[in-house]
Amino acid sequence: MDALGIEWSLLLAQIVNFLLLIVLLRMFLYQPVLNMLNARKERIAQSMKDAERVSAAAREAEQEKAKVLEQARREAQEIRAQATRDAEKIAQEVRGRADLEATDIRMKAQVDAARQIELALADANKQIADLAILATEKLLGRELADKAEQKRFVAEFLADAGSKGK
Amino acid sequence: MGKKLVELLWSTQQRKTWTIILGGLFVASLLIRFISPVPPPHVALSGEPLFSAGPKWFTNSVLTTLIVDIILLVLALSVRFGIKEMPSGLQNLMEAVIEALYGLAESVAGKNAVKFFPWVATIFLFVIISNWSGMIPGVGSIGFYHPVKEHGDEHASLLDSQLAMAGGNLFLAAPESAQAAPASAESEKGKFIPLFRAPSADLNVTFALALATMVMVQIWGVRHLGGNYFNKFFNFRGPNGFMKGINGFVGILELISEVARIIAFGFRLFGNVFAGEIVLATMAFLIAFLLPVPFYVLEVFVGFVQALVFMMLALVFFQMATISHGSHDEHH
Repeated sequence: MDALGIEWSLLLAQIVNFLLLIVLLRMFLYQPVLNMLNARKERIAQSMKDAERVSAAAREAEQEKAKVLEQARREAQEIRAQATRDAEKIAQEVRGRADLEATDIRMKAQVDAARQIELALADANKQIADLAILATEKLLGRELADKAEQKRFVAEFLADAGSKGK
Repeated sequence: MGKKLVELLWSTQQRKTWTIILGGLFVASLLIRFISPVPPPHVALSGEPLFSAGPKWFTNSVLTTLIVDIILLVLALSVRFGIKEMPSGLQNLMEAVIEALYGLAESVAGKNAVKFFPWVATIFLFVIISNWSGMIPGVGSIGFYHPVKEHGDEHASLLDSQLAMAGGNLFLAAPESAQAAPASAESEKGKFIPLFRAPSADLNVTFALALATMVMVQIWGVRHLGGNYFNKFFNFRGPNGFMKGINGFVGILELISEVARIIAFGFRLFGNVFAGEIVLATMAFLIAFLLPVPFYVLEVFVGFVQALVFMMLALVFFQMATISHGSHDEHH
C-alpha cells in the first residue's frame, strides 16, 4: 500500500471530496439544469400543441371561408339566373303586350282607314251623282222632275260600277 | 509532386517564413539535447508532498484535485446563477453534457436514473476533468527541486530509482554524455517535485472513487431489496447437497468479485492516465516537437473513454444491485 502511495488519510479525504462534490454539483448544476430542461420541454410541448391548435383553427377557418365563398357564388349564380329568367319573362311580356297593342293599333288604323275610304267613296258617289244629274240636266236643258228618283238611280249605278271596279 | 511541395513550402514570403520557423523548431528540437541535455522525464508512481517541511498530506495531486473541484464548482455556479430559459454559450454546453449523461443513465437504469444520476454524472465530470488536467502544459513539468534527504523513505526511493531506470532504458539510444548528464543533474539539484499532478494519476483518488462507488452499490442493493440483497453472497439453497454447495461457492465468487471490482476500478483509471502521462513525457523527451501531437490526441480520447467507462460501469453496477437474483424467473 505504501509503495503505491496509498494513504488512508488521503483516501478518506478524497472520498469526502467526492461526496462533497456530488452534493454541491447536484445542488448547483444537475437540479437547476434538469429542471430547466424539463420546464423547457414542457413549454415546447405546450407551444407545439398551441401551434397545432392554431393551425387547426386556421385550417377550419379556411374551410369555412371556402364554404361561405362557394355558397355565396352559388347564390349569386342563382340570383343571376333568376334575374335573367325574370328579365326574359318581362321582356317577353313586354314584347307580347307591345305586339298586341301594335296589332290593335294597326287594326284600329285599318278600320279607320276603311271607314275613311268608305266615307270618301260615299262622298265621292254623292258628288258624282249630283254632278251626273247636273250634267244630264244641262244636257237636257231642263230640270229633272223627280230629283230623288234620279239620285237613287245614279247611286245604284255607281255602286254597281264601284263594285265592278273593285 | 515535388513541384507542388516546393510551391506549398516556398511560394510566398509568408510560406517561406513559416517553413523556416517550423523547420528551425524541428531541427532545434532534435539538437537541443546535445546542446543542453535535459533530465529524463520525472516519473513517480504516487503524488509527492509539495513542501518538504510542510504537511505530508499536501501532495501535488491534492492541489490539483482542489483545482479540479474549483473548476467544476465555478462551472456549476456560473450555470446556476446565469440560468435562462433561452440558453447561450456555457449553459448550452452544460445542458448538452447533462442531457447526454442523463439520457445515458436513463437508458441503463430506467426509472432509477433519477437516483443514480448525481453519482454517475459527478464521476464522469470529475474524472474527465482530472484526466484532461494532466495534459495542460505545465502539469507534471513545472515544479521545484527538493534536497534529497538521506533518511528518506527507503521504500519510496527504491521504487523511484527503478522507475528512473526504466526512463534510462528509453534513454539508451542517446549518446553516453547525455545519459550521464541528467543523472548527475538530478542528484545535484535534488529530487524534482512537480507542482501539479493529474488527480486520476493518483491511486488515492481512483480508489476513493472506486470505494465510494462500490459502497454505494451495496447501499442501493440493500435499499431496493432489503436483506434479500445479501442472498447473492450467502446462498445455500438448492434442490440437493451438490447444488447447495455450488450456490455457496458462487456466493463466495460474488463476494470476491465485489472486492475485485474496487481494485479493477481503481487500477484501470490510474493505469490509463498514468501510462498516458508517461507516454507523453517520454515522447516529448525524445523529440520535443511534433512527435507528441498524435499522442496528445490519443490521450484526449483515452481521457474521455476512461471517464465514460468509469461512469458506465458504476451505472451498470448500481442497476445490477437493484435487481434481485431470485426474481429472474419472475420477470422472464
